[in-house]
Amino acid sequence: MSFLSPLAFLFALSLPVVVVFYLLKRKRVVKLVPSSLLWQRFLAETQASAPLQRLRHNWLLLLQLMMLLLVVLALARPFFSGKTGEASLQIVILDASASMQATDESPSRFEKARAEVSRLVDGMKTGFSADNQQMLLMVAGANAEVRQSATSEKSALRRALQAAQVTDSPTRLAEALRVAETLTRDKPNAEIHLFSDGAGVDLSEFGTKDLRLVFHRVGTRGDNLGIVTLDVKPNPEDPTKRALFTSVANFSGSAAETTVELLFDGQVIEAKAVSVGATNTVPVAFVAAQDHDGIFTVRLTAKDDLPADNQASIVSLLPRPAKVLLVTKGNRFLEKALAASAPNVELSTATDLTDPEVKPDLVVLDDIAPAVWPSGNVLAIHVAATNWFEGGIGEMEAPGIVDWRNTHPLLRFVSFDNVQIASALAVKTPIWGVSLVDSPTSPLVLSGEIGRQRVVWVGFDTLQSTWPLRVSFPIFIANAVDWLNPATAKAGQFLIHAGDAFRLPLGDLGQHASAKVISSDGKVTDVPLGPQARELVFGETSRQGTYRVALGTNQLAFCANLLDATESAIAPRGELSLGRHGAVAATTMKRADLEWWRWFAVAALAVLMAEWWWYHRRTA
Amino acid sequence: MNSLITPELLRRLEQVQMLAALRAKSSLKGERRSRARGLSVEFADHRNYVLGDDLRYLDWNLFGRLDRLFLKLYEEERELPVRIFLDASESMNFGTPTKFDFARQVAAAIGYVALCGFDRVAVAPFPDRAVGGGDPELAHRNALRSVRGKKSSMQFFRDLSALSASGAADLNASLKRGAMEARQSGVAIVLSDFLDPAGYEAGLNALVGRGFQINCVQILAPEELDPTTFGDLRLIDSENGDETEVTFGKYRLKAYQQSVANYVQRLREHCAGRGIRFFSVSSATDLGDLLLKQLRASEVWA
Repeated sequence: MSFLSPLAFLFALSLPVVVVFYLLKRKRVVKLVPSSLLWQRFLAETQASAPLQRLRHNWLLLLQLMMLLLVVLALARPFFSGKTGEASLQIVILDASASMQATDESPSRFEKARAEVSRLVDGMKTGFSADNQQMLLMVAGANAEVRQSATSEKSALRRALQAAQVTDSPTRLAEALRVAETLTRDKPNAEIHLFSDGAGVDLSEFGTKDLRLVFHRVGTRGDNLGIVTLDVKPNPEDPTKRALFTSVANFSGSAAETTVELLFDGQVIEAKAVSVGATNTVPVAFVAAQDHDGIFTVRLTAKDDLPADNQASIVSLLPRPAKVLLVTKGNRFLEKALAASAPNVELSTATDLTDPEVKPDLVVLDDIAPAVWPSGNVLAIHVAATNWFEGGIGEMEAPGIVDWRNTHPLLRFVSFDNVQIASALAVKTPIWGVSLVDSPTSPLVLSGEIGRQRVVWVGFDTLQSTWPLRVSFPIFIANAVDWLNPATAKAGQFLIHAGDAFRLPLGDLGQHASAKVISSDGKVTDVPLGPQARELVFGETSRQGTYRVALGTNQLAFCANLLDATESAIAPRGELSLGRHGAVAATTMKRADLEWWRWFAVAALAVLMAEWWWYHRRTA
Repeated sequence: MNSLITPELLRRLEQVQMLAALRAKSSLKGERRSRARGLSVEFADHRNYVLGDDLRYLDWNLFGRLDRLFLKLYEEERELPVRIFLDASESMNFGTPTKFDFARQVAAAIGYVALCGFDRVAVAPFPDRAVGGGDPELAHRNALRSVRGKKSSMQFFRDLSALSASGAADLNASLKRGAMEARQSGVAIVLSDFLDPAGYEAGLNALVGRGFQINCVQILAPEELDPTTFGDLRLIDSENGDETEVTFGKYRLKAYQQSVANYVQRLREHCAGRGIRFFSVSSATDLGDLLLKQLRASEVWA
């Protein structure tokens, strides 16, 4: 045991004062009695029979000395130092991700972690001593935020701790740890305390760093049922209806039953009972009619430890006809594939693009260099006259297809088996795009974004290949139309992960001084827009739900969801792995530097009350 | 006329009679049986006639049978001296009613019973006052030395009423002197609180040695049995001025009462070992209860 303010022992000088008071003659009430004989007998008998009779006179003195001693001890602020207590700088990272809302701890993991941090704050060595400890408080929610810079002031730390809020966003501890690593780099006496459940934490980048990390785990179990994906598409069988695809994952160790409810603009329109096996994921599809733009919400009714992932919403816009302009010298395969690519495609053909005012949704350039370059999205087939490639464009004969990226949405269900190409353009993969199909020397299909323009580039003439004869060709064209259709890209904008920024290109929405964003909990935020602003950026999306944006007379909505399987897997981890070699085991909470003055003060109060009781008992 | 005893109690006391286990040894005639031979109706013995004997007491029937002269002897009835030792020290002034008042009442009652039985009553208040000086009590004290006959009872009460308590008593010395002074032994009544630092054993032993039939009545004040003053106290002895410092609280009351009980018990055992009748009463006790129940039950009188 050591003392934070040993100077307080000077108060012990008051102990002799109490003794001196007792040495002074006590004032007694004088009383005349018939005979003191009985009293002397009484005193002789009681003193002979009572043990400790010498002390008996001075119980009060003893009690008072004891109380004073306890008060002095409390003033001296004794503490027992724990193992973690010696660090001069403690960086506390409080995980505020969605999984910390789990209620397996009471009232929640986040509150438990907050209480443990609070105890760590209590245990800080501060005061008159020279080796003051400092603490820095970071909250890692949607983004890592330093809530309180390094300080020894406990009240400031407690205030910052109280202000911390849990979010609905996925875990982003790496960012916080990066900051913490920077702060502790040249301080051998610093420690990082991470209060987290360890769910969804990826720290592989810290494998080689010297991270003095203490992992305080919260959470006990992982009984959770969550919605992990959500997508809305036109129904391929009935264009007037919408198809909703979602999947429900069960992260607990036992099978679970739940009802999945589908709501459109807040009204329940369908419900399905689903049984999900342990650690399984079950896809659920809904087909629903939709007569106006609105929001579909999927909801799980089963009770589990984490309610945050039991609901997800998505904005569904009515499909609009895609205007496709095909610039070609004549290609029936392409024309037919385009016409069948989507339920409502308005296809027009031209031999050249000359009028800059024509603005189709997407332009397909088939072996033609247009006179006016289109401003919209482009599918360019065998187009060489561009400035897209550095180092020029060459030619190659009969390139073999060696690989294709079938995870890309453009190549979904597309296979290049059995496709032969007579000749192709040879380019180097540019920085704006990724190669989807490769020959040994050059990419054959590229996709990417140049500015805000989406581009798919095919490096060979389809008529000089066997591809149009394969079933993969119309599928690719359909995928390409879907990917290049601005409406699809737009729909993607309205679904974000909680904690991510919402970005909306202003484009044709006109100029406005500011936009109003109404959060799901009714909070209204004014987002100022500069005169040159090209897009609206809104970052306060830490809570999930539907956000409504008012931009002049335009009303639109976007949805923030958790939709994160790693975050929904809330089972706490006993160990955080740092890359391939390192790992940090969870510690049981080491309460460093426990101060004891409260207990001494309580004991002093108890002794004071005993003294009061005794005083009254002996003379009453 | 008589503030000590109510007329009602007096009337009831007239019906009781002192019991004496011993033969009276007084030289004066009275109503008690004695070893002395004299004139009465109670035959005791015969003895040979000697010249000069009263011929009226010859037993003529015996002379007729034996042709010898015998004299009939009768028991002479003598008085029973009742000696009352009355503690009149300062300590008797405490209590409500004061212990001294209570003691005087007991003395008056016993004296009255004795007077009604043609016995001689002597009251010996102690401590003694200094002889000489203008002590107004002196005449009454002298008058109380020997009282006889029922007609003297009113004067006896008046003399008792005139007494007062003061000064420090020496119980042992007073009892010893009383034992020496008495010409004949008889019944001795000791009315005191027996709270003498020097003890009571020597005095009682002296009375026992002189052949007295002793009755002790210990009178304690209610506040001595059950103190009501608590706190840090400096107690001053009313007789010798001794100071005792004591811190007293309710929680120690039981211990105090226990030590008082111990003291009384020791006194009671001392008396029981010597054939002394012992009574311990509070001065707040009902007088009739002590006189008509306790004393009668232990056969001081009947």
